[in-house]
Amino acid sequence: MWFVRLLSSSIGKKLIMAATGLLLVLFLITHAAGNATIFMSSDVFQSYADELHSHPLIVLVFSFSLLLIFLCHIVAGLYLFFENRKVSHSRYEVTTRVVKNSFASETMPYTGLIVLLFLFVHIFGFTFSPKDVQISVTVKELLGNFFYALFYIFAFVALTIHLSHGFWSMLQTFGINHPRYNTLISRLTLGIPLFFLLIFGGVALYFMTGLGAHY
Amino acid sequence: MSSINLTLKIWRQQNSDALGRLETYTLDNVNTDMSFLEMLDVLNEKLTKESKDPVAFDHDCREGICGMCGAIVDGVAHGPEKEVTLCQLHMRHFKDGDSIVIEPFRSRAYPIKKDLLIDRSALDRIIQAGGYVSVNTGGTIDGNAIPISSQKAELAMDAAACIGCGACVASCPNGAAMLFTSAKISQLALLPQGQVERKQRALAMVEQMDKEGFGNCTNAKECEAVCPKGISIRNIARLNREYLLAALTEG
Amino acid sequence: MELNARVPAGPLEKKWDTHRFSNKLVNPANRRKYTAIVVGTGLAGGSAAATLAEQGYTVKAFCIQDSPRRAHSIAAQGGINAAKNYQNDGDSVFRLFYDTIKGGDFRAREANVYRLAQVSTEIIDQCVAQGVPFAREYGGTLANRSFGGAQVSRTFYARGQTGQQLLLGAYGALSRQIHAGRVKMFNRREMMDVVVADGRARGITVRNIITGEIESHEADVVILATGGYGNVYFLSTNAMASNVTAAWRAHKKGAGFANPSFVQIHPTCIPVHGDYQSKLTLMSESLRNDGRVWVPKKQGDTRLPADIPEEERDYYLENKYPSFGNLVPRDVASRNAKEQCDLGKGVGSTRLAVYLDFADAIKRDGEATIFKKYGNLFQMYQKITDSDPMKEPMMIYPAVHYTMGGLWVDYDLMTNIPGLFAIGECNFSDHGANRLGASALMQGLADGYFIIATSVAHYLGTNKLDNISVHDQAFIDSKRSVEDRIAKLLKNSSGGPAGKFTVDEIHKELGKLMWDNCGMARNKEDLEKALKELPAIKQKFWDYVYIPGDTKEINQSLERAGRVADFLEFAEIMIRDALTREESCGCHLREESQTEENEAKRDDKKYSHVSVWEYSGEDAEPKLHIEPLSFENVTPSQRSYK
Repeated sequence: MWFVRLLSSSIGKKLIMAATGLLLVLFLITHAAGNATIFMSSDVFQSYADELHSHPLIVLVFSFSLLLIFLCHIVAGLYLFFENRKVSHSRYEVTTRVVKNSFASETMPYTGLIVLLFLFVHIFGFTFSPKDVQISVTVKELLGNFFYALFYIFAFVALTIHLSHGFWSMLQTFGINHPRYNTLISRLTLGIPLFFLLIFGGVALYFMTGLGAHY
Repeated sequence: MSSINLTLKIWRQQNSDALGRLETYTLDNVNTDMSFLEMLDVLNEKLTKESKDPVAFDHDCREGICGMCGAIVDGVAHGPEKEVTLCQLHMRHFKDGDSIVIEPFRSRAYPIKKDLLIDRSALDRIIQAGGYVSVNTGGTIDGNAIPISSQKAELAMDAAACIGCGACVASCPNGAAMLFTSAKISQLALLPQGQVERKQRALAMVEQMDKEGFGNCTNAKECEAVCPKGISIRNIARLNREYLLAALTEG
Repeated sequence: MELNARVPAGPLEKKWDTHRFSNKLVNPANRRKYTAIVVGTGLAGGSAAATLAEQGYTVKAFCIQDSPRRAHSIAAQGGINAAKNYQNDGDSVFRLFYDTIKGGDFRAREANVYRLAQVSTEIIDQCVAQGVPFAREYGGTLANRSFGGAQVSRTFYARGQTGQQLLLGAYGALSRQIHAGRVKMFNRREMMDVVVADGRARGITVRNIITGEIESHEADVVILATGGYGNVYFLSTNAMASNVTAAWRAHKKGAGFANPSFVQIHPTCIPVHGDYQSKLTLMSESLRNDGRVWVPKKQGDTRLPADIPEEERDYYLENKYPSFGNLVPRDVASRNAKEQCDLGKGVGSTRLAVYLDFADAIKRDGEATIFKKYGNLFQMYQKITDSDPMKEPMMIYPAVHYTMGGLWVDYDLMTNIPGLFAIGECNFSDHGANRLGASALMQGLADGYFIIATSVAHYLGTNKLDNISVHDQAFIDSKRSVEDRIAKLLKNSSGGPAGKFTVDEIHKELGKLMWDNCGMARNKEDLEKALKELPAIKQKFWDYVYIPGDTKEINQSLERAGRVADFLEFAEIMIRDALTREESCGCHLREESQTEENEAKRDDKKYSHVSVWEYSGEDAEPKLHIEPLSFENVTPSQRSYK
C-alpha cells in the first residue's frame, strides 16, 4: 500500500520524525504559553489550570494524541538510531567531522533520551500529583527543591540542543530550504529553542532561586 | 617548491574477502607541488622497487571531473581542501613530518575490492532506476522549442555537476546516498524535460537507493561539506518534497 | 589491403539521404536476434550502445572504468558545435562543413565531414530532450559562444563542463537500456583482442580487471569507441587509462590505421613541473582572448616577471602575427611556444613555459571584469600551481590533447575488417590533420546517435552471418594469445625487481622519445633517429620490465604494462607516418616543409591523401597504403593567419 511504502522508505521515516517533531513543538508552544502565567501570579496560573481541567474530554483526547505522537517520535527515532549505528559503527580508523557545530546533530538520540527521562519525572510529579493539592502549590513545592529544579534546567538545556538541530532538520525534511528564507530559518532554529529555555527554564529558576516563593 | 617527509598509514586489503589493516610507510622528499595521487604514484614506484605490492587505488582523469578517485584522508573524504577531488589535492597542504591516514571510502553499499579501490556500482543502479528522461534517439523537437529560464538552467546545472564520486556516502555518518540521488532528481525536476516522469522517477530512485543498503539521512550536512563539486543539500530538501508529493499522489 | 571508402554517389548535400535510403534495414522483430558489442562508453560508445538497444538490438557494452559515466569525454570543457544558426550570423551546414574541412587543412574526406555538419543540429535537439542543462539566454533560448577557427557563434555549452553534461545524457540513455535489460553492461573490462572468424569481426577477448579472468564475448558486430592514443607521450591531457590497446589489437588483426602521426597539441596547458608528474592539465583556450603571451627577450633570463621591464619582453605572437595576435590557431600557438623555449627564452623552473599575462587586461577592464570572466580558471590554476594569475602572469606550455589519427573507416564507419566499426576519436574520419575546438563532442555523438545504427543495419541486412560460439577455435586462439602475452609480460617478475625497470620508467622513456622527435615540430633526421632508438626501448621493456603481483587479481601495474607494450609497438607507425608525410599540414609540421615565413606548407600534389598502415607481422615493416582525397566542393587553400 502506498502509505506503508511511504512510511517504510528512508525518507518516510524522516517524515515521521519531522511531522511528529512539528506537532511536539506546537504542543510546547501552548504549554509554554500556559506556564508563562506563573510569572503573573499563582491565581492566574491556577485559574488557567482549572479552566483547562473543566474540559475533561478535551484533556483526554489531547493527552492520548500527545502520547501517540511522542511514541511515534521515539520509536521512529530509536529505529533510525539503531539502523544508522549499524552503518557507522567503527567505520574508519580516523573520523573527522567537517561540519562545524555538529554537536547537536551528533547527539540527537541522547538529548532526546534525556528529554524522555525528564518526561517521566515531569508526568509523575505533576500529572499524577495528589488531586487534593492545587497545581499552583505543587509547582512551588517541587521546583522549590534545588536538585529537582536543577534537573529540570538540565533537561531544558538538552531540549534546546535537541531543537537547535531538530527545528532546522524538520524544515529540511519537509523540503523547506530556500536561500531567501534560510537566514530566517537559521534564526528561528536558534530563537525557538532559546524561547523554550527562557520560559521553561525561567519557571524552574524562578522557584529554585526562591524568587517565586510568594508568587 | 619544497619537499616534506611523511609517514603514511594506508588501508591494505588483498581482496573483498580478506581482512584489512593499516600499514605504515615512510616517504621522504615529497615535492609539495605534487598532487596527492602523484604522491601515491611515487610511493608505488618505491614499493615496486622494494618488491612489495603497490597500493591499488582508482583514478583516471586526474583533473577532478571523472569521479573515479577518492579516499578518506585523515578522516575526511577527498582530504582537507574544500571542493576538490583527491587528484586535485596538492601536497602543499601538508607539513613536514605529518602522519597521514588514508582509508577507502566505506559504506555498506561499497564493497572494498582491494586496498583503496571500491565498488560503487550501487550508484549506477540508482541512476538506472530512473535518473534520465526516457527519450529515444531521433524525432525530438527543436532545442529552442523548449524555452528554459537561464536561472532554472543554472540551478539544474548546479545539481547536474555531480561527478558520482560517492564521497557524500563515505562521509555521511549514516552512509546515506541522499545527496547523490537528490542531485539527479533535482536536475530533472527543475527542467521541463523531466516533468513527465517526475513522480515515477522520485519513487523509483528512492526505492532503489533504499534497496542498495544506503543509510538514512539525518541532515548532518557532512555530504555537502565534502562534496568536491559543492552540491548543496538544498537538493536533498527538494528530493524530500518530490518524494512526499509523489508518494501521496502517485502509484 | 582494399580501401574502398564507399562514399555514396550524387551531390554532396544528398549523399547522406541517398545512402540512408539505399541502405538495407533489419526488421524490428529480428533485431533482438543480433548482438552488437560496443567497447567504450564515452560520447560515441555510450550513445551508440543506447541507440542500438533502443532500436531493438541486443547490446553488450564494455568499459574500463568502474562506471560507464567516467569515460574521458567527461573532461571536455568548451562546448559542442552545431550548425543551428540560432544567432542568425550566417551559419549553415555548408559553413560548418567548410570550417571543419579547412580547419583540418584539407586532409579529411568531404562526404564524411558534410554528414557530420548535417547531423550536428539533431545532436543539440537530442541532448536538450534528454535534459542536458545547456546555458540559456534570459529569454530562455539556447546560448552560444564563439570558438577558434570559426567566425560564427555556433558552440553550445554547459558552463565549463559540456563534455560531462553530454556524457551524462548519453549515460542516462544507456542506463535506461541497462535497466530495461536490453544492454548488458560489463564494467572494469579491458579489451585485449578482437576475434576475427571467417574474415569477420565476431567478438572480443577482454580481461576482467577485478578477477583477472580472460573472458570471451561473441557478437554479430563489434564497435570500437575506445578513444585516442595521446598517452603514447606519457604526459598528455588524456585520462590515465586512455590507451591504444583496443585499436592496436584491431590493427594487428588486419584493420588499417590511418594518419597515426596526426596529433593535436593544445597551446594552453599548465607546464610540467617535475619528473613525478603524471598528467597535464588543460586551461581553456578562451584565456587567450585577454591574456598576452610573452617571453623575456634575453636568453636564460631568470628574473621574476615583474622585474622584467616592458621593453625587454617579447610579445612574440603579437609581433609575428599582427592581425590574429594571441588568437592564432592552436597549432601555430603551440609551435611558437616551443620555438621560444628552444631558443632558450623559456621561463619557470624547467624553462619550458611561456608567460600568459593578464596585467594589461586588468588595467583596461578592471580586476572585477577579468575575474568574472576567468575566475574559475584562475582558481583552478592557483590550486595546481599556488600562484595567482591576478597578481603574476600565468605560465603555460603546449601539451598533447587529441589524436586525429585512428582506425581507417569507410563512409559507414566500418574498418576494413567486415563487422568491425570504429567511432569517435578511435577512428580517423572527420578532423583531417587538425581538429577545431568543440568538434570532438560533435563527432562522437554524431557517430553514436545518428550514424552507426544505419551502418549496423546495412551490414547485418546484407550479410548472412553463421552462428558462432565462444567455444569456436577463433575465440580459443584469441584467448590463448592474450594469456600468452600476459605470461610473457610477467616472466621477468619472478627474480624480483633488482636491476629491472618499472612500467612507468619505460613509458616515460618512450614518451620523451616521442615528444622530442615526433612532437610539435618534426624533421627527417629526428624521426629517423627515433625510429632507430625505439627497438632498444622495446627490447628493454620485454627484457627488464618488473611487474609485481599476479594476473588473477587486481593488478594495476600489469594493466599499465599491457598498454605500454602496445604503445611501444604503435609508436613505430606513428614515426613512420610522420616520416613519410614530407609536407606540413595542420598539426603535422615538418620543418623541411615551411614557407619563407616559417608557416606550414602543404603539398597537395603529393600528399592529398590518407595514409593507411597495414600490419605485416612482429618484425616486418608495416605497409603503407593510400586513400586519395578529392575535393569537389571546396578548393584547398593555404592557411594564413598573418
